[in-house]
Parts: sequence; C-alpha cells; structure tokens
Amino acid sequence: MKKHFLFLAFIIPSLLFAQVPKGFTLVKDTATFKLKMETQSKLVNSIESDFTQEKYLSVMSENIISKGHFCFKQINMLRWEYNDPYKYIIVINKDKMFIKDNGKVNKYDINSNKMFKSINEMMVNTVQGNLLNNKDYKANYYESDKQYLLELSPLQKGAKDFLKVIQLYIDKTDYAVVKVKMIEPGDDYTSIDFTGRKNNQPISDEKFTVK
Amino acid sequence: MRNLLLSSVCVLLLAACTPGHYGRLTSADKQAQPLQSIFGDNFTSFLFKTNITIYGKEVSGLLVTKQMQAHDYRVIFTTELGMKLFDFEFKDSAFSLHYCVPQFNRPALLNTIKQDIETLLMNSVGQEPYVTLTDKAQQYTIIRTHPQTIFTYYFTENASGNMVKIEHSKKHSKKVIYLLEDYQDHFPNSISINHCDIKLQIELKLLKR
Repeated sequence: MKKHFLFLAFIIPSLLFAQVPKGFTLVKDTATFKLKMETQSKLVNSIESDFTQEKYLSVMSENIISKGHFCFKQINMLRWEYNDPYKYIIVINKDKMFIKDNGKVNKYDINSNKMFKSINEMMVNTVQGNLLNNKDYKANYYESDKQYLLELSPLQKGAKDFLKVIQLYIDKTDYAVVKVKMIEPGDDYTSIDFTGRKNNQPISDEKFTVK
Repeated sequence: MRNLLLSSVCVLLLAACTPGHYGRLTSADKQAQPLQSIFGDNFTSFLFKTNITIYGKEVSGLLVTKQMQAHDYRVIFTTELGMKLFDFEFKDSAFSLHYCVPQFNRPALLNTIKQDIETLLMNSVGQEPYVTLTDKAQQYTIIRTHPQTIFTYYFTENASGNMVKIEHSKKHSKKVIYLLEDYQDHFPNSISINHCDIKLQIELKLLKR
C-alpha cells in the first residue's frame, strides 16, 4: 500500500506538470489575454508573410520542408502559395476557393462542401489568431517571457481522428501568430513558421484570383 | 465532321488501353537477367509531388516512400498542407494499413492504390518465374511474369537500359499501364499510372531523393 502511495505521489504531479509545455507557464488571467488578442486582431486589415512548413513523420529521418508566401485581406480573402520545392496555390475569395496545381486551376464553392468550409475557417482564423472562442475546440493558455502559447484540442469526433492538438505561438509584443503546430494522434506533426510579417500594407484584389 | 472527330478520339482512347501488341512479341534469343527494382536495393527515401485523379475528382499531395529494412517499405501520402491521408507498409508479401482518412478508406480504392504501389516497389520481383520477349524492332527487352491470372510485362529500353513501361494485362487486355519517364541518375523523375478499367490516374513527379 505504501509503495502504491509513493508511486502515485510521484506520478500524479509529473502528469500534471507534463501538460504544461516546456518553457511555458499557465496564463492566470485568460480573460485579459483574450480581450487583447481580439482587440489587436480587429486592428489588422491585411497580413502578408513568408512561411516555412515542416512535416515531421516519425518513420522518416528527415522532415519534409516546403516554403511559400501568404497574403490575407479582410474580409475572408487568403492566398496561400507554396514556391519551394513545388508550386501550389490555394486562394480563398469570399465563398470561392481556387486551387492551382500543375498549371491547372480548379474552382470550388466553399459552401457546397463541408470539408472546404472547414479548411477555409481553419486557415483564415489561424492566420488571424481568431480561434479563441471556437466552440469546436477546448483551449489551454500558456505563456513564456516572449510568447503566448494557445493549445486547442478538437472536441468533435471527426476532427479528433486526424488532429490531437493545434498549438498557436503568439508574439507578446504585437499578438501576431508566429508559429502554428498541428499535432496528429500518433504525434506526427506539421509546423508552420511565419517570418517577415507585414500588417496593413495595401494588397491588390488581383492577388486573390488565379488564372 | 463532328462524328469523325468523335470516332477518332474513341479510337485513340481504345488504342491506349486495349489488346493489341502482345501477339506481336516474340521469344528472345537469350533469357534476360532478373529484373532490378526501380528504387534500387538500398534506398533511404523518395519524395514525390503526387496527383490522383479518380472519376474526375483530383487529390494532390506529397508521397513519401521510405525503405525501413530489406523488403520493408513505408509509403505515406499527405496533402500539401500536411494532413496525412494514408500510411501503408509493405513488408515482403505482407501489407499493413497504419492510417487512412475516411475519404480513402474504401476497400476497392485502397486495394487498387496498394497494388499500384506494390508494382512500383517490385518487392516480389525476382522470386517469380519469367519469360523473356522482344518486339519486332528489337527496341525493348520485355520480361513477362504471371504469378496469378494477371500477366505483368516489364519493358526495358535496349538503348538506355532503363525500364520505361510496366503493363498489367488479363486475357490479352491491358489493365494498368505504368510509364516511367525522364530518367536522371538511373531513376525516373516522372511516373504515371493509367488504369484502363476504371477512371483512375496517378501522376508522381520526383521532388527529392
């Protein structure tokens, strides 16, 4: 019995601490954080940034790295473009989605397809950092000296099948999302780092069409 | 005129996927050396930009093939955005499905894609009896195997020594055609798989090895 007690005395605290990512502590005042995040988000009309995407697969010795550029403009216009090592463009323009691959353009009506609708919501909300009040996810808030870390765990069964948690790393100075990490149930993950972000620069509407 | 155009298109389509040329192949004078795997015996991993078109619907992404050990291969397909679509393992003649999204989890589709990848990995090649054939112009050395009801023809171009085509056939009808093109450093940078019975086409473009 004593052995069991000792085991539990060590294991339970370690499990509790293991939930907090290394280098971060729990945010005590989540209401203030959410309010600041929402206020900052409302000040942003457009975003332009480079990104580096890394796909980690446990069976692979090297990660798959793709690089590209994205533009976002209110309301609901997004261009997500891979340049290296392949060309691939996704454009969301209001209720339409265009995919350009291999020189060929496919057009989709976002509202006609549940999957495209959720891709649209996820991409637009992620780049803006607008996932805080999404009822489809359980949120945990952490912070370090320089960053907030928002961990979102899906609640719906369909999403849980392919996504364990989304981590949003947010810069404390301007509340911009600097990194997104999507972890799958088997701990393989996709991580996207944003660099050279520019807010509220004019972006032509032509960027949100593809030919 | 319109009918003529239509019938020309039909003739072209039929010619691409029908009986035809096997009767014109003759036995070669000498038996060819056993086939070598396209991917080689000791590869680490290959990354392909991949497009799968099935009945007009297109799915694109990145396909990774990785050799874990001898005759043990892992094949993973993800979208460009990183979402995993399927994860297969081929170990000798055994197959394991590690993961699959519901959209791909249909036995007929999964089995077809599995067989296509298995053909390219050539895991069982060398263990089966084969006959050596040649074409009239003696442009190719053709190895034919027939482990079950399906015949498989491997076409190696005599001039380059590259395997340029694989065909599956049943009762002299082509079932699947694999074209291996744009060879660089003894490996095809472009692989296309065309099914004759179903509207399924798979295109693989090598990104990294």
